[in-house]
Amino acid sequence: MNSPFLVSAFFLTTSLCICAAPTAQARRASPAQTDNATLKDNLVEKDNFALPQAAGSGAESAATAGTEVPIPGPLRSFLRMAGLSQKIAPEEVLPLLSRNIVVIGYPDFKSKADNPSEFLLLLRRYLAQARELQTLAGAEGVIRVPSCRDAQTLLGILGYRLRENCGPGTSVETSDADRAFLTIDSGFPLADFEDALRAGTPFTYAYPTTYVPVIYAASEWFPAAKGGKKEELVDLLLRDPATARLYWALSRIDGETRAALRQTPGLQKLAPFASVLDFYGSHLSIRAGRMIVPGGDAAEAAWKNLVGATPASPGEFVTRLLAKDEGWLAVYFDALSSVPQAQQAYFTKAGRLEHFYESFRGHDISPSPTRHAFRPDPGLILLMTRLEVQPDGEPHIPGNMQVWSEILRARHDSKISETWGKKTTHSNSPDQLVDAMFALSREGTFGGPLQMYLLFSEIDRARPPQARLTPETVRLLAAKFARFNDQYTMFSEFKKLDNASIARFLTAAQALDRIPDRILRADAMGIMQANVGLWQILARQGQIPEAKWNESWQQMLAPFSGIGSGAQLFDAGRTSLGELAKGAIGKTQISQDELIALLAGPIQGNAAGQQMRQELAGKIRAVLDDQRLVSLDTLFALQRGLNEMAEGKAVGENLLPLAGELREFEMPRPLFTTRERTEWASGLYNVRHTTSQMQTNLAKVIAANAPAEIAAARGQLAPFLRDTLVGLNYAYYEPPGAQMLHNNPLFVRSHDFSGQMTLKGDQAWQTPLLFGRGGTASGGAHLAGSLADLPYVLAQVEQDFIVPENGQSLIWEDLVPDLLTSAILPRWWAVTPTELHAVTLYQRTGEELLTAAGGNAKLRQTVMNILAARMVPQRSEEIESALRTGRAAEVVPRMLPSETFYLSAEFRRQFAANLPADQLADWGAAGKELQQLSREHSEEVSWTRLSQDFGVPHPALEQSYERKLLDVEPFPTFLGYSSRLLAECWDSNNLYWARLADELGYPAVTLNRLVPQLTRRMVEKIAASHPEDWTAVLRAMQETGEEFRQSKTTNPAGAPAPSGMPP
Amino acid sequence: MAKRSVILVLPLLAAGTGLLAGSSMWMKAQEDTGDNSVIRKVVEMVQLNVAVTDKKGNYVTGLSPADFVIVEDRIPQKIATFEEGTGAPQNLEGPGQGNAGPQLIPRGAADLKSGSAEPVDQSNGSQTSPTSIYILFDTSNYMYRGRGFVFAQDAIAEFIRSIEGLNRIAFYSYSRDLSRQTPLTADRNQVLHGVRATVNGDDSALYNALLLTLKDAGEQKGRKAVVVFSNGPDNSSMVPPEDVGELAQSLGVPIYMVSTHEAKLDAVTAAVFARISANTGGEAYFAKDWKDQEHAFTSIRDDLAHLYLVSYYPQPNPNRGWRAITVKLAGEKAKQFHIRTRDGYRPLPEHLSMGAAVAPAGQ
Repeated sequence: MNSPFLVSAFFLTTSLCICAAPTAQARRASPAQTDNATLKDNLVEKDNFALPQAAGSGAESAATAGTEVPIPGPLRSFLRMAGLSQKIAPEEVLPLLSRNIVVIGYPDFKSKADNPSEFLLLLRRYLAQARELQTLAGAEGVIRVPSCRDAQTLLGILGYRLRENCGPGTSVETSDADRAFLTIDSGFPLADFEDALRAGTPFTYAYPTTYVPVIYAASEWFPAAKGGKKEELVDLLLRDPATARLYWALSRIDGETRAALRQTPGLQKLAPFASVLDFYGSHLSIRAGRMIVPGGDAAEAAWKNLVGATPASPGEFVTRLLAKDEGWLAVYFDALSSVPQAQQAYFTKAGRLEHFYESFRGHDISPSPTRHAFRPDPGLILLMTRLEVQPDGEPHIPGNMQVWSEILRARHDSKISETWGKKTTHSNSPDQLVDAMFALSREGTFGGPLQMYLLFSEIDRARPPQARLTPETVRLLAAKFARFNDQYTMFSEFKKLDNASIARFLTAAQALDRIPDRILRADAMGIMQANVGLWQILARQGQIPEAKWNESWQQMLAPFSGIGSGAQLFDAGRTSLGELAKGAIGKTQISQDELIALLAGPIQGNAAGQQMRQELAGKIRAVLDDQRLVSLDTLFALQRGLNEMAEGKAVGENLLPLAGELREFEMPRPLFTTRERTEWASGLYNVRHTTSQMQTNLAKVIAANAPAEIAAARGQLAPFLRDTLVGLNYAYYEPPGAQMLHNNPLFVRSHDFSGQMTLKGDQAWQTPLLFGRGGTASGGAHLAGSLADLPYVLAQVEQDFIVPENGQSLIWEDLVPDLLTSAILPRWWAVTPTELHAVTLYQRTGEELLTAAGGNAKLRQTVMNILAARMVPQRSEEIESALRTGRAAEVVPRMLPSETFYLSAEFRRQFAANLPADQLADWGAAGKELQQLSREHSEEVSWTRLSQDFGVPHPALEQSYERKLLDVEPFPTFLGYSSRLLAECWDSNNLYWARLADELGYPAVTLNRLVPQLTRRMVEKIAASHPEDWTAVLRAMQETGEEFRQSKTTNPAGAPAPSGMPP
Repeated sequence: MAKRSVILVLPLLAAGTGLLAGSSMWMKAQEDTGDNSVIRKVVEMVQLNVAVTDKKGNYVTGLSPADFVIVEDRIPQKIATFEEGTGAPQNLEGPGQGNAGPQLIPRGAADLKSGSAEPVDQSNGSQTSPTSIYILFDTSNYMYRGRGFVFAQDAIAEFIRSIEGLNRIAFYSYSRDLSRQTPLTADRNQVLHGVRATVNGDDSALYNALLLTLKDAGEQKGRKAVVVFSNGPDNSSMVPPEDVGELAQSLGVPIYMVSTHEAKLDAVTAAVFARISANTGGEAYFAKDWKDQEHAFTSIRDDLAHLYLVSYYPQPNPNRGWRAITVKLAGEKAKQFHIRTRDGYRPLPEHLSMGAAVAPAGQ
């Protein structure tokens, strides 16, 4: 398929570019004075576009001031054709163009200049057409068509002709489809042109040459390019992918470092390493003629040994670093640079740096780390980021060394694993296990010892010593890892679940696996997992107290051992639900309404809370209604009646009508015959479960009243029970704007728990996969697998129903589900007014510190030291430069709320007790208020509490749905993980929405409604150029906030759903 | 199925100008009686677009409400409002307003350009129901093949120009996501600008986009239709066409599929286009190419100009599932003429309602 804008490729990007670039602004063309509305629009657009977008870039700004290159035609058209957001800054044009050339310019991502993609071909053709139009526009840069009779030349360039003779009835039609496509796709104002032709009025359209800033001087790029031909830089980038990649790589390096590299080794010597520089160059940092290395001064000698050059000679150091081991040393350097300094200290201490690298490198350096379109598996950076270093300076080992030696030796499919298994057999050194993990991080496999180590470490993290995983539990978890690993994240989130509870889960799950009847097994898996899902919700909401977690958990799971029939399953499901209810409300009998009320949130003591709880309950009921699920009350009443009949009692008068309710569900009216389904849906249309339910005729059994059949009849209720319980889970995690949950009544019923439909074989306990998407005859998309990661997967399903506000917006396949998950999973029942206000004050205090840092060099240094831990050198340098040059007011709106929050939290941690007078004589207004609030409510204002209540889940990074604010640098994208790790680094939304609610006077409970609504609106507004375009995400968030503020201003009563917000 | 109250609570699906008139009279009647025995219920009004043609396909006009027999699940229904083509609505709560008798209008004879944006019936001063036309344009990569994108765009522009004067048009496009290019407006020029502003996309999620478009259409009063310009196939939708078709039927929105022979290369696409349009009372057209859509445009224009808009409040019906609708002509006319309309609907849950009206007891 030809794909001019294969947007899916956009989602999988390759590098990190968080920040806006230097301050040089696009030179304005001098448009001729004209009375044409189109021209005015163009000018307005250009003015908006040229607003300052970024902080300055420091040393390099002066070096390159005034260096710009031309692009023919309006920038708006070029950006459309290049697949770039209309909202980017001029400085970003060439870097992001280069990125798109690298990522989607060539079908196989290889630098084959003779095999461009359709995207690149169209872009080249567009430039040719733009140059023709530029010629027509002449020196004044304005296309003028005095009358319809003079339109032929322009029409010819555009690929159109007149349908009728000039006059009121004329219009245009395509004469040259290729040209016409470019005309439309580039946004030429054809409709205005047609209007003018019909009206017989002159058509005037500003068609200026656009000038955009270039890194270094344009001329310097030509010697680096093959052929060395003199042409415009934009043509060179479009022609030569190697130059484009080098340009993209350098654009993400800070200005001072870039300036140093310009001198030594220079562009030509860097060119061969463009791919390594692209993936692993953004942490290179040269300051005052010296390379900054992870571990600081103390690690310089070790780095000199590894690289073969001293950090004092940065040009040589960089060249050798990039060249060493085909780039693997650069991978190591980059990963280590991105972790916090405290973490770096462990890895760079006393010889570890070299032997860890030796383990990481291994004996084979192929394939190179730049072989694929994306960085290899993120195992290394996850290991460095998540490894838990204990207070004694040693890494934490879940279980003990012996069990890990067994785990390593047991991996017969991995030579590395076996080798390290032998090495660690008699070792008690945790470092040796870390060595093994470094070696395994090159393997790029899922489900290996490294993934076990990372996951078990997360489960153990923050557990008290006596509650940590025992060697036996580690052994058990490892033995069952391949089948159940996606379920283990529960134990990372609910850390009070002890070793016995973990074992109980595995016992119950394995018991279900042993059920021979496939259909019964699938129903059993669905019922048990649904109850486990409901337990998680109630435990997370605090309705099952922590003290009861283990008891409640184990009693909930106990009924699932030894299931042999449908009747037993139904009884087990109900008993299990009763135990779940007992943990929350102290009784085992619970109605559907009571259960929904529980899920909707804890009992509230005020009107706002009560209203919100009712609203959420209503939403759950709406999903159950639209999925046409049988009520739990009906099922339980039928169970009771059937039991009574089995005991010889009379048939209850309600029993037959209740049995009739089971038959009320109707399949959607078919559009296809059975044969067509078979032919067109390729096995994707699987409604066995639903069909079986529709054939259930309990009324007949009741009417017959045969004892044997009555006894077994409860079993017919089990599939219905499964659907309703699963439906409650789906309903609870309904993403904002969901459509499948309301319009596809088979969605819940079609959840395939059998695991048979997945491509990797039996994945019954794994995160569900999506099937049937785009399969017209498949009956709609459905999930196959377990209920693990359900909030995220549902968000994946529903995200495409969000309608982007910007025509060419990119809705990111991985970012948006994370944003939606972070909006849906947190509930705000326990948030106090103090907490809500504290979140505001933290952010304001961070802003005050930034402002104050503008006028105080020492404070600026402190502030930048804190912030540098969370950002790449380029962004850090830009912020520092802006503060230093008195542009703090520009910086503040461009800071992420998570950054200002972190800044004030960390500054307070360091100095709250004793302000450094030479840096900050006194707190600002917000800082003072925060100090006061902290004195009065220290627990509510603590980082720990606010992190729990306003953080977001990180199921990929922390392997847990526990909410937390991270203090790490944003991750780039990786092979396999795509951009999910990256997306989880975005934890600004909830902080921002909370501040908005606080400043506008909304109580915290309304966040239960506002956060999903605002997040959905924000997604609609995202107009990004690539997945790591945090600037675009921030802009969308701020625009949404402003819109909300405006609606509040015009609607001071604070209606439940302010205008502008989606329902 | 969740246990519900004995009295069925249903929402009003759509209320045209005429429908609102009808429902407001009912509400007024209740207030006037002050009868405590009145049971207030929210009742769905069912609105049908009915095309009546002879054996040659010519539209039959001039029929009166008495000529139509509507049955829902074998339960005879009483027509509440009646409207022919672009004429004024008749409120049948009052005295009957007979028509002059059937007349034949050849296909292509519709002259919609002569109408104003909201034509007024001079005889009684009441406004005709505005027709809301939602145009949905496929901008996926499938339309990029053979540059069908630009030719289809020309065709849409031509279609919009050809229905100038006929009430309101919205223009949406889609690839993987929907894009609401131009909201519903009577300003044709604004719509044309929206058409020329579309850009080529990537994957195709027609049924997702159609679902969202139908929901927008369902919020409008009066007659509405969705016209899709696509060659299919769909490779990205989550929701299946069955659900979309049911929603269209429940909302009373006919779907017209405008396509080319290329769509027939994909059997499933061709089948769905034909069936989903037929089930909703619309039609599917497969022209030789995008430049050759005159037949489709004429047919759609004719339909919109000559459809009867007939509505009724359902008689008590315990069926909470699919309700079959049969529309016939009374007497000899049943043998002479052919009827095309949707064949049923599924009552929507209350939270999906587009509005509500209060009906007297017994309804």
